[in-house]
Amino acid sequence: MNKQNQLTEIHQSGKPYIIYKSQKGFDLYTDFSKKIILNSKNVKSFLGKKNKKKSKNTDLFIGFFGYELLNNLIDIKLPKQKNFNFPKGIFYKPEKRLKLSNNLKYSLKNFESGSFKININRKTYTNIFNRFKKKIKSGETYQIKICTKYKTESKIDPLDFFSRLSTSNLAPEAFMIKDTNYSIISCSPENLITKTGNDISTKPIAGTVKKTKHLNKIKALSYFRKNLKETKEHNMIVDMERNDLSRICKVGSVKLSKQKIVEEYKDLFHYVSLIKGKLKKNINNLDIIKAMMPGGSVIGCPKINTLNLLNNLEKENRNIYTGSFGYIKFNGDMRFNIIIRSILNFKNISEISVASGVVVDSNANHEFNENFIKAKALIDLFK
Amino acid sequence: MIYVIDHNDSFTHNVVHQFALFDSVECDQYGEINEKKLKQASTIVFSPGPGNPKNYPITSKIYKKFKGKKKMIGICLGFQHILFCEGAKIIEQKKIYHGFQSNIKVVNNKSMFKKGKIFKVGRYHSLKLKEPFQSNNFEITMRCLTSKVAMAFENDKEKIYGFQFHPESFLTINGNVLIKKILSA
Repeated sequence: MNKQNQLTEIHQSGKPYIIYKSQKGFDLYTDFSKKIILNSKNVKSFLGKKNKKKSKNTDLFIGFFGYELLNNLIDIKLPKQKNFNFPKGIFYKPEKRLKLSNNLKYSLKNFESGSFKININRKTYTNIFNRFKKKIKSGETYQIKICTKYKTESKIDPLDFFSRLSTSNLAPEAFMIKDTNYSIISCSPENLITKTGNDISTKPIAGTVKKTKHLNKIKALSYFRKNLKETKEHNMIVDMERNDLSRICKVGSVKLSKQKIVEEYKDLFHYVSLIKGKLKKNINNLDIIKAMMPGGSVIGCPKINTLNLLNNLEKENRNIYTGSFGYIKFNGDMRFNIIIRSILNFKNISEISVASGVVVDSNANHEFNENFIKAKALIDLFK
Repeated sequence: MIYVIDHNDSFTHNVVHQFALFDSVECDQYGEINEKKLKQASTIVFSPGPGNPKNYPITSKIYKKFKGKKKMIGICLGFQHILFCEGAKIIEQKKIYHGFQSNIKVVNNKSMFKKGKIFKVGRYHSLKLKEPFQSNNFEITMRCLTSKVAMAFENDKEKIYGFQFHPESFLTINGNVLIKKILSA
């Protein structure tokens, strides 16, 4: 049986499975022997657990940490927020891995949905925005990302959506989870942790511009360099990620290996840096997760104060948004992304969250529109 | 040993790594400050951080207790904090510098750095020192080339130093040299 048929068969069997972008195509993980639903009580023991040495390519846990759980891990409590009781984190132990090509060929376009509604209107957004701007002026935060959500009732086939999304936007950290009671479809472009042995790296994105006929890679670079606001936001993220790596890495080992380069994707250009370090001795998985998550580029800076400011003004739980998806191998190697550009489907509701940054010279109207543009790429899948 | 007091910032560990190139460094969060380490330290560093010096009363106590007895260094908020303890007013500035690379100049011949020398540095500050400012033995030694805002002070007599910019930022060229020089002063 060829791989395409195997994918279709796994999909139609109704059993849970996960697809994650690999270098050449996608990896599919299924036949889960364990499913661990995380909460603030069991997450530390989950991360602290010693597993037998890796021998097979399925000797790993794959899944996600939601935003709230990552706050709890660094001792930040969220105030009571509106939420629909989606789990704070879930990890799976697969027994089977299948390699797939980039072309998933599963487009049905058979779904039901209403029209998307936003949870914060322009006026409320501007209000929050201006409050944060005052906080920047008084030095309480230097940069902060306000999350808005778009929601609709829906009944969709996740593989149909993921396959269409991958055709239009083959993102390096794309993934899909299909379980019996929920699914996640994501074209995340951002890698937060790649750890192999004692080597660790993070690759923050700050700055995105849409490709046009007239905008090639060289012009995109000069656009970013000339744009002072994008440059300053990016600089701040680079220093913040250097800081987070420095918590767990050897002195002198944290290096900016690629500084402010442009990466080209199908429809857009990203402004990216790559920061690497070598882990100190006796650093465990929990130390790494706590130092790096939630990823700074989607929160703002400085992290702790900014998280507290955000949590007090956001009335709705971020759920998976700005959490992290990825895997931890039994030998301690790991790969995690930042969950952005994603659709969460749960209880017949599809939810898309987006955020954009408030810095001192950003404009509320512009950022509100920017949020809509980010969401639109995903909302368009429902057409 | 250098003891870094972390005002819950996202740049403090860059500071730690920079100082650790020259001496052993301990670092604790504001709120978890360890008396024993404070006593053992030869140098105390006040880290950058969000907010205003008046939000951190324990830092003020530490500064007053060890002034003249240990070398003390303030970075960004830490710079403002030391000046605040010396009676300065710390105020909002019209133009805010976050993630900004600027040219600053050594403006004082009492500085250990050569007068007229220009440094390229990274800045992350909403607030600034209100001038005129005067305090015994404190000299403003560096200023922003364009805005003239105070960027460094030196008090060589009591071994107290501060930078409004971030010597540990990747935006600062030769930041390690600056730190090495004040550590050996």
